[in-house]
Amino acid sequence: MPRLTFALFRLAGLALLFSITSCSPENRTNDYLYCRLNSNPSTLDPALITDVQASVVAAKLFNGLVGLDAGLNVVPDIAERWEISPDGLTYRFRLKRGFLFANGREVTAHDFKYSFERLLATATKSPNNWIFENVEGARAFREGRADEVGGLKALGPYDFEIRIARPFSPFLKMLTMTPAYVVPREAVIAGGPDFASHPMGTGPYILEEWAPNREVVLKRNERYSNPAAHLKGIVFRILPEDLTAFTEFELGNLDIFQIPASAYSKLRNDLRRKQYIEVLPGLNTYYLGLNTSRPPLDNPALRRAIAFAIDRKKILEKFYEGRGRLADGPVPDALRSWHLDKDRGPVEFNPVLARQIVADNGFSGVRLKLYVAADQEAVDIAEIIQGYLADAGLTITIRQLEWSSYKQAINNGEPDMFWLNWWADYPDAENFLFPLFHSANIGPAGNRTRYANKEVDRLIELGQHATDPALRNRAYCEAEEKIIADVPWVFFWHKTDYVVRQPWVEGLKVYEIYNMDKGLDVSLRRRNY
Amino acid sequence: MSACGGATIRIYILKRILVLVPLLISVTFVSFCLLKTLPGDPVYSMVGERATPEAIESIRKEIGSDRDFMSQYAGYLGLLAGGNFGRSYYSNRDVLDDIAAKLPNTMKLALAAMAIAIPCGLAAGMIMAYRRGSFIERIAGMFTIGGVSLPVFWVGLMAMLVFSLELRLLPPSGTGGFKFIALPALTLAVPAISTLARVAAASIEESMGLQFIRTARAKGLSPLKIAIFHVTKNALIPVVTIIGLEFGSYLSGAVVTETIFGWDGIGRFAMQGIIMRDYPVIMGCIITCTAVFVVVNMLTDIIYHYIDPRIRIHDGKG
Repeated sequence: MPRLTFALFRLAGLALLFSITSCSPENRTNDYLYCRLNSNPSTLDPALITDVQASVVAAKLFNGLVGLDAGLNVVPDIAERWEISPDGLTYRFRLKRGFLFANGREVTAHDFKYSFERLLATATKSPNNWIFENVEGARAFREGRADEVGGLKALGPYDFEIRIARPFSPFLKMLTMTPAYVVPREAVIAGGPDFASHPMGTGPYILEEWAPNREVVLKRNERYSNPAAHLKGIVFRILPEDLTAFTEFELGNLDIFQIPASAYSKLRNDLRRKQYIEVLPGLNTYYLGLNTSRPPLDNPALRRAIAFAIDRKKILEKFYEGRGRLADGPVPDALRSWHLDKDRGPVEFNPVLARQIVADNGFSGVRLKLYVAADQEAVDIAEIIQGYLADAGLTITIRQLEWSSYKQAINNGEPDMFWLNWWADYPDAENFLFPLFHSANIGPAGNRTRYANKEVDRLIELGQHATDPALRNRAYCEAEEKIIADVPWVFFWHKTDYVVRQPWVEGLKVYEIYNMDKGLDVSLRRRNY
Repeated sequence: MSACGGATIRIYILKRILVLVPLLISVTFVSFCLLKTLPGDPVYSMVGERATPEAIESIRKEIGSDRDFMSQYAGYLGLLAGGNFGRSYYSNRDVLDDIAAKLPNTMKLALAAMAIAIPCGLAAGMIMAYRRGSFIERIAGMFTIGGVSLPVFWVGLMAMLVFSLELRLLPPSGTGGFKFIALPALTLAVPAISTLARVAAASIEESMGLQFIRTARAKGLSPLKIAIFHVTKNALIPVVTIIGLEFGSYLSGAVVTETIFGWDGIGRFAMQGIIMRDYPVIMGCIITCTAVFVVVNMLTDIIYHYIDPRIRIHDGKG
């Protein structure tokens, strides 16, 4: 019997040795750029993408009609030019000839019609179909009253027309979004549900391998010449732990690294690294949302008192280490084409006034629930806010929830206050006004403070449908000033991100919107790995 | 092993496999109940930050979360009967394929951890038992207390800082061969070494006082022979139990270790599913881990049968 036991142990040992030695070590591949994703992309089907990680990857695999340049202007992508009718209702695009899918077939206007109708089809269950809700015939198609979307027309192989029901100023910019990328019908049908994990597009890269929770490997699309990528490929390593990713970067196993808060001071003060850090002023707003739909925060006086009570500037400088710009309102400075009336601007820190408002209105000792997602930084900020509001005479209970429960709670209006941020999907002020403050979007559509102001609704709609830019700006400016005055949010900051590269990475550009980088700028100086 | 003994083992295995089916069905039911009563709706994670009520409803209908509990559960059992775990709500990938890709990685990590833990744990246990009161016993004792007390994430991060960042000997993350497995396996092994050492020491000390050891000494056997062939063998039963339990828990996913070291195993996969409320992924992982745990326990029972003649697997006939 001991002999048998020994034999079993020996067998197990051999199996282990075999399993270890039979795996070849993962080495870097020359001319592949190594980057980090901090979570697994949810899907690579553009119609279904809602997360930043997936958009970052999909941008390299697909193209749309139009894209954005570094100045956030709409520029040609597959469309070489376009015309918008004077009434703002018809968008006519002329497509480039010879723009190929990865299977070698040329992209035509029919592909765009197919892709956009697919996005709208209920069977696709796309959460992004709101992008085309203004297109003529979209509703009838979704409700099954029409076989096709009347407002999407392939006028010829290279001419594509979109008709919208009402003039809608941000529409062209919305076409730069990830879900508006073109997909080949034959690959979608052949792939079925697997198209999400084996996607095929037109982009400068092709998916080589996606090992979920491990890495996404892209290789250069040799058919792409718009222009061609310098790199042979890109490896996105999925590393949820900041310290692990930082260690990988320090060892030279990552070429580019978006600096997390925990490594910010170290890298900013590292003389070797300092010159390789790129600054990215993001199109985002971080805020404390106040539930305006029920007592006691339906009272604007208490909301103002809360805004007066918190020293945002100090929190930004001391706790957030200055990684952002103080927010004047919901719209990021880079997207604001107007000047706010300083007298109606954001409230400044004034603890005396805050205490006085609280006492005068009988709010002393009022208990409020502040919800935060399970993220250490958010919890820390919540505790700081709790301290400031305690000084003003308010009692705050912090409730930390994991992301899914947190989303459900804030969508249903459970908390009195919550900590959240909003990032631009397209570079237009409308993206920071309509979803977040229009009363039609209360709940999961974006307006989680349940703010409802008919005049603000009217002004936002006026801006959306105005064809005259001056009128649009006036409407948006007035809407933003009214929002600031009503304080449904305490506007904190627009976060700045920092990206550090290795010395051998050349041509790195950082972009304000996650799907702008198509992986065409970067190249690697020769290096022995 | 006699022919009769082999047949008994086969019947035993068959019985355990038959018990596995109702066990797994019970586990699916309990897990399904728990998942459905937890706060958090996967649809809200799926739709992103901006979604119309219409889109939310259509997704709810598509994944069946608009149906009543029993009809959802029956649908899931139907799926299992068809031999698959369904598709991930998010990636639309076949959950069974993903588990099949990740389980071997987890097994590899568990085996490597046990390959470190068993010899080190036993050696430390023997030292603690045979050198009671010595300086080396005190060092081993301190190590074992540290090993069971230190949180795994701290051990993992320290190992990474020392071996990857400072010494540059091993890569900090990745899934692959020896150099990738070394740090996560070491991290997982530390608490197992400590537990094994303490259990082995106690068990050896207990065995040393037994009558047959005194007989062996009286017969004039050398202390080394007594230690290896009589005491240690006799003390193996609790050690095998600990090994079985530790190994089973590693196979059920060493979530923290896999996350820190970017090891592409089932623990990290399950964790991602839990965070995202990806029910098909969570259920697939629970079922797989339950089955693995039962099989490991069965193997432990079979090993008992061979290493201790007092423990015999009966065929149920008395």
